[in-house]
Amino acid sequence: MALEDIPRLGCGRSIDRIWATIDRLPTAHEEHCEQCQTARTRLQRLGEATRLLCESDLHDPALKPRPGIENAIMDVARAEVRRGSSILLRSADSGTTEISEQALSSLIRVAAAAIPGVHSRRCRIEIRSATASPAGEDHPSGTTRTATNAGPRLIVNLWVAAAQGIVIPRTMEALRQEIGNALPAGVGIGAGTVNITVEDLYDV
Amino acid sequence: MGDHGPGFEPDLDEGSIVARAQDGDLEAFEHLVLAYQYKIFRLAYRMLNDHGEAEDIVQETLTTSWRGLAMLADVDAFGGWIYRLATNKCLDLLRKRSAHAVNCTQPEDMDTSPEACARAVPAGSDPAHEAEWSAEQDGLTAVLNTLPPAQRACWLLREMHGRSYAEIGVTLKISPTAVRGTLARARHEIAEGMSEWR
Repeated sequence: MALEDIPRLGCGRSIDRIWATIDRLPTAHEEHCEQCQTARTRLQRLGEATRLLCESDLHDPALKPRPGIENAIMDVARAEVRRGSSILLRSADSGTTEISEQALSSLIRVAAAAIPGVHSRRCRIEIRSATASPAGEDHPSGTTRTATNAGPRLIVNLWVAAAQGIVIPRTMEALRQEIGNALPAGVGIGAGTVNITVEDLYDV
Repeated sequence: MGDHGPGFEPDLDEGSIVARAQDGDLEAFEHLVLAYQYKIFRLAYRMLNDHGEAEDIVQETLTTSWRGLAMLADVDAFGGWIYRLATNKCLDLLRKRSAHAVNCTQPEDMDTSPEACARAVPAGSDPAHEAEWSAEQDGLTAVLNTLPPAQRACWLLREMHGRSYAEIGVTLKISPTAVRGTLARARHEIAEGMSEWR
């Protein structure tokens, strides 16, 4: 389909052009062309009717789905929710202790919400025992906190959006510290490494 | 973001909400449901003229979105994607109707229940203006329902929902230039039809 398919009046003016200039004063041609005047009047009427219909539909209580629809959607979501993997904290003859990635993510998001200019997004968490990797493997300079005990260390990978205009390095360091404090305080596990990726900027 | 209801970080951008929903965060997904269910319903109702079927489209679209969220590469594309899912579900349903030779697009077949006919009237309108206003809308919707489904979808997505030419083109599998042509013809036909209505 090409632009040639756009309807034209007998005088040669395209409907598209008349529509695009409908809010302006008529041109010299349009002032004297009966076809253009008729088309302008009809399109203005359509424009006004469209605006009113939009407004009317938006506020019409009958043009809403029943509340049961939202409930049905959320029932499916709850039944099929991806809980993420469970993280094994401790394994002994007496039994194992695991925590879901989802639970830790929630804690991390609450911590992130305390830092102005940061919107947390996806979160992936791994665990590594203190002796499983050579010292320094997860310690890029200036980016780590040491676990508060000698137990397993969490590796948090967090993606965030940052407000435009903030000082990103300083803000992310504050975020890292907030998460480093929240995890031991909330679940008693230290965050060994907090990797943050700023994947987007948002308008304030 | 005000559209996303109470109880969430108040200025959270939609991309972040979508990303959290991709992580399985139910609260984030619920905010998306709240933000889009009414928009999708209004689109589906104007496409199908049936309250129950429009509700089915809302439910199917948002359930499908939950199942497919992980595959959405660009979190900022969620709005366009959800409109695309809903529009195509409406067009599929209209094709099925057409296959059953039931023409539901004529004005006399439209949903005429009191609820469907009820209109939000601006406060302070005088009765004469109100009646004229209501007649204009009746004319617009009656003519709109005579347009072919894809053309109607194109007009609704642009004029009632403000979606971009590029996005509408992807939804209807046509170029942005063809969207412009389709819109111009839809406007022309509706404007002409309204002048002849009644």
